[in-house]
Amino acid sequence: MSDFAYSKGLKRRILIVEDEEINREILGNMLQDDYAVSYAENGAQALEMLHEKKVRYSLILLDLLMPVMSGEELLGKIKADEMLSGIPVIVMTSEKPAEVSSIKHGADDFITKPYDSPEVIKARCERIIQLYEDKSIIRSAEKDELTGLFTREFFHEYVRQADDYDEISSDDAIVLNVEHFHMINEMFGRDMGDEILKKIANALMQIFGSGMYIGCRPDADYFYLYVDHRDSYDGLFTGLSDELEKYSHIPKIRIRAGVYQNVDKQISIDERFDHAKLACDRIRGDYTREVNFYSREMNDADLFHERLIHDIDDAIANRNLTVFYQPKYGIQSEKPELRSAEALIRWKHPELGMISPGEFIPLFESNGLIQKLDHYVWREAASQIRKWRDKFGVTVPVSVNVSRVDIYDPELENGLIEIIEESGINVSDLMLEITESAYADDAKGLTDVADKLRARGFKIEMDDFGTGYSSLNMITTIPIDVLKIDMSFIRNMNRDEKNRKLVELVMEIADFLKVPAVAEGVEDESQLEALKKMGCQLIQGYYFSKPVPPEDFEKFIKQEA
Amino acid sequence: MITVEGLKEYGANVEEGLARCMNNEAFYLKLVDKVLKDKGFEELRAAVEANDPDAAFEEAHKLKGVLANLALTPLCEPVNEMVELLRNRSEADYTQYLEKIEEKKRLLENML
Repeated sequence: MSDFAYSKGLKRRILIVEDEEINREILGNMLQDDYAVSYAENGAQALEMLHEKKVRYSLILLDLLMPVMSGEELLGKIKADEMLSGIPVIVMTSEKPAEVSSIKHGADDFITKPYDSPEVIKARCERIIQLYEDKSIIRSAEKDELTGLFTREFFHEYVRQADDYDEISSDDAIVLNVEHFHMINEMFGRDMGDEILKKIANALMQIFGSGMYIGCRPDADYFYLYVDHRDSYDGLFTGLSDELEKYSHIPKIRIRAGVYQNVDKQISIDERFDHAKLACDRIRGDYTREVNFYSREMNDADLFHERLIHDIDDAIANRNLTVFYQPKYGIQSEKPELRSAEALIRWKHPELGMISPGEFIPLFESNGLIQKLDHYVWREAASQIRKWRDKFGVTVPVSVNVSRVDIYDPELENGLIEIIEESGINVSDLMLEITESAYADDAKGLTDVADKLRARGFKIEMDDFGTGYSSLNMITTIPIDVLKIDMSFIRNMNRDEKNRKLVELVMEIADFLKVPAVAEGVEDESQLEALKKMGCQLIQGYYFSKPVPPEDFEKFIKQEA
Repeated sequence: MITVEGLKEYGANVEEGLARCMNNEAFYLKLVDKVLKDKGFEELRAAVEANDPDAAFEEAHKLKGVLANLALTPLCEPVNEMVELLRNRSEADYTQYLEKIEEKKRLLENML
C-alpha cells in the first residue's frame, strides 16, 4: 500500500501529543527516520492541528495526563469526530488502570512509560498504521481486473496519500475518455472494446511511467490520472489514437483528455477530477482538439449553468420567462400577408438580466429540462392564439418547438390535446416544429410519433432543414406539412453560389413533397425577391420583424384588417 | 560537563537511557542537561509548601515520567516514592522527600 509513497520518498505523519518537552524529543528522535513528526503540548493544541485540513496524520501518540485538555478528553473528541475517528491513537501512560480505560474509550494500543526500546515502539506504530490503512480499503480490490489500473477506492486513497506526504509538489489531474466507446462495443463486440481499454491502459502506463503516475478507470470508458505536473501536453496522446487504429482497424478512435493543471490541494479529490472531466467533456465531438485544459472561466460557466438550472422553476412561476412572437408572411401574393407566427422564448433574469436562448436552450436540451420549457411555451402560445382570436376575430397559428425529449414522452399527444382543449383553439392552430436532426437520429421512432400527431390534426414542421444530414430516401417518406430551411443558408444565399443552389434544392424538395417551404432569417429585400422567384411561400426574419412581445405583435394583426 | 562515564558512576542506567535515545550520546546528554533546568522541581516544592497535594501529585508524576525515560535511577527513586504517597494523598513529611530529590539533583549539577 505504501509503495507509491515510498517511491516518491514520502513519509506518513505522526502527531505526538505530550506536555513534557523531553519526552516529546525522545519519541521524535525515535520516529523521525521513518515518519514525519508533528508535536502538540496539550489536547487543545492537538485538536486544532488535527482540524487543519492540509495535513493528514497517520497516527496520534497521546499522553494521558496533560494540562488544558487531558489526553482522555481529547481521545473522546477524536473518536466522536467523523473526520478524525479514522486516525489510530496510541496512548502513553505509566498508569496500569488508565491503559484499560483508554482502550475501552477507543485507543488502539498503549505505550508504557518509561518507554520501551525504540524497536518496540516503532513496531507498534507501524502495526497500527498498517492495520488502519488496510481497513480503509480492504473491502475493495486494488486493481481493475481488465486494465490492471487501480480501482476507484484505491486510486482515491493513493491520491490522498500523495497529498499527505508531499504537500508542495505540483500535480495535474487528467480525465481521458474514448469517444463513442459504446459504438465500438456495439459494432465490433465487447471483446474488442475490452482490448481497446487494455491498450489504452498500457499506453498510459508507458506515457507516464509506472512510478510517477496513478490511474484508475472509474467507469466504462473514462480514465483518471494523477500525475506530476507538466507544462505541455502537446501530442502526448496522438500516438495513442494511431496505435489503436492500427491495432483494431477501427478508423478514428478518438481519445480526448481534460487536464486540470497544478491542482489546488485545498479542494477535494473529487472536485479536482470534476474540473478535469469538465474540460474533457467540453471537447466532446470537437475533432480539432485532443486535450483541453480546465480554466477558472470554464468553472464559472459551469456554475452559471447550474444557476440557470436552479432558477428555472422560479423563472416560470414569476413569469421571467416570456414568449415572444415573430411573424411569418406569405410572399406569393401581391402584398405580403401575415400567415402565422413562431413562438420564441425569452428569459429576463431578475439578477442576471437577459439570458440568451443560445445559452440556456442547449443546456436544457442536454439535461431534459427543455421539456418543462416547451410545455410552458405551448400553454402560453395556445392561450395567446385564443386571446387574439377573441380580440380581433382572426386566428394566427403559432409554431412551437417540440424537443427530442418531448417526442419520446408517451404523454406528448394527450398533453398537447389537453392544452388545445383548455384554450379552446383548433388542433391545427398550434403547429409543431421538430428539428431535422431529430429525424436523422431515429427516423422510425419519429415517424411513428409524427404519424400519430398528424392523425389527430396537428401540423408538423421540419425545422432547421439542411443541417441534419437526412438521407434523401428518408425525406421522401417522413410525414411533414412544412419544410423550414435553416437560416444559415438564407444568410449566405446572395453571397455564395453553393448556398443559393442549396436553397433552390430545398424549394424543389418542398415542391416534390407538396408542402410549403418557409425561409427563416430573411433580412433584406434582395433575399426576399430571390426567394419569391424560387417559389418560396413563407418568410420569417428581421426584414419583417424581430420576435416581439404579444402586445407589440398586435400591430401586425391590425395591419391585415 | 556531564559525561556518560559520570552518569554511570552516579548510578544512572545509562544503557537503558541511551537505547531510548537511539544510542545517540550527545542527544542523551543534552536531555539530561535539560531536565536539570526543568521548572518541575521548583513547582513541586511550591506545591508541597502550599499544601496542595493535587498539584504536587501532578508535578511529581510528570517528573517521574521524564526521569524514568532518561533512566536517572537515583533521582527516580525518591520521586517515585513521593508519587505513590501523593497518589493516596497520604499524610507524610514531603519536605524530607524534596530534600532527598534536591540532593540527588545537586550531585548531577555538580558534574556540569
